Amino acid sequence: MAHIPDGVLSAPVLIAGATVGLGLVGTALRRLDYDRLPQAAVLSATFFVASLINVPLGPSSAHLLLNGLMGLLLGWTAVPALLVALILQAVFFGFGGLVVLGVNTLNLALPALLCALLLGPRLSPRSTPSQAFRTGLMAGVLGVLLTGTMVAISLGLSGEAYVPAAKILIAVYLPLAIAEGLITATVVAFLSRVAPETLAGETQGRAAP
Amino acid sequence: MINARKAIVRAAVVYATLIVAGLMGSAPASAHKLKVFASAVGDQIQGGAYFAGGGKAGGASILIQDGGGRTLAELQPDANGRFTYFATEPGDHLVVAKAPDGHQATWRISAAELAPAFPTQADDETTRGQGRVSPGLEGRQPSQEAVGAASAAAQQTGHAAPSPQLPAAIELAVARQIRPLREQLAAAQDRARLTDILGGIGYIIGIMGLALWWKSRRAPRDTP
Repeated sequence: MAHIPDGVLSAPVLIAGATVGLGLVGTALRRLDYDRLPQAAVLSATFFVASLINVPLGPSSAHLLLNGLMGLLLGWTAVPALLVALILQAVFFGFGGLVVLGVNTLNLALPALLCALLLGPRLSPRSTPSQAFRTGLMAGVLGVLLTGTMVAISLGLSGEAYVPAAKILIAVYLPLAIAEGLITATVVAFLSRVAPETLAGETQGRAAP
Repeated sequence: MINARKAIVRAAVVYATLIVAGLMGSAPASAHKLKVFASAVGDQIQGGAYFAGGGKAGGASILIQDGGGRTLAELQPDANGRFTYFATEPGDHLVVAKAPDGHQATWRISAAELAPAFPTQADDETTRGQGRVSPGLEGRQPSQEAVGAASAAAQQTGHAAPSPQLPAAIELAVARQIRPLREQLAAAQDRARLTDILGGIGYIIGIMGLALWWKSRRAPRDTP
């Protein structure tokens, strides 16, 4: 669902998406945390491959998005990581189009950034695994639901016919949000046990230089 | 406290393993993309909408457009995503499948593919009639009848002048025979290939390497 193909959205939505997306990527590149680049690459590759594993859900099929996890662990660096993976998915797998790249990036990156800003400060190297689990759960659920909402808004702004469908879309993705929440929570809790230093939140990351 | 934490983490790992196993089991390496396939058999455009690598898209709606983008018909496929459209005119047709959540796919039927069902000789009204009826409703039988009739006609008129019906009948039979083959070929091309996956991961690592190299070039100037 996060991969809207070419030819579905209207021109104003595409242009607005591309403009805002470009601004977001520019800001993210200025704030790029080079120490997190290997992490970003690993998560980008995971996101890239995760889209291949799908479950049929209602009239559509769904796959893990992982944007909550990426936002939580990478902060602003999640934006270029998502962009690179989306470009490669469009080129190699034909998921989403190149013209809608801006909108698709925005739909995934904005929820990731919100997770980083709202939930990132709750995580620190001193977080207990259960704290980390709860934060991860919230990030996973928030990431999917916000992305679902943004996809629905993108479709809704492009034509009236999509509005009822968009409502279905959000309902269908509730189970995905729960699954994603549990997976994100597991990953974050695991990291807090084996590599707590990776959980330096966005705020600590920016204060460091 | 520590035990409780361990229990939570253990439970989480079990959950996640179950979920991932469920994901893998229900749709092994299937891809997330709406696809549509269609081919012309006689004057019918038959096709199906599906998600690449797996599920049928029964909930999609199908638009048939002509070469100029004018919508000729809107169809609702059956539960397996199959649909049939009876073409009324030769020419390019564009089959557009739309899923309610914004997925969309197209398939082009060229004029050449429909041409056998619409002979250009306006004088031969009988050929046209037979050509249009034969592909249709009675399934496999009519094409053989048509071929039989055509070859009988050819024998009657002698070897020198084969019936004009014969090429049309042959084209129809061949189109019907190769249709499943074409559909399989189209579906096979949709599957994500291992080379694509590895290539994508390679790109990601390469881009990371470039960024780190760029950083290391600037580093001596940044830090005293």
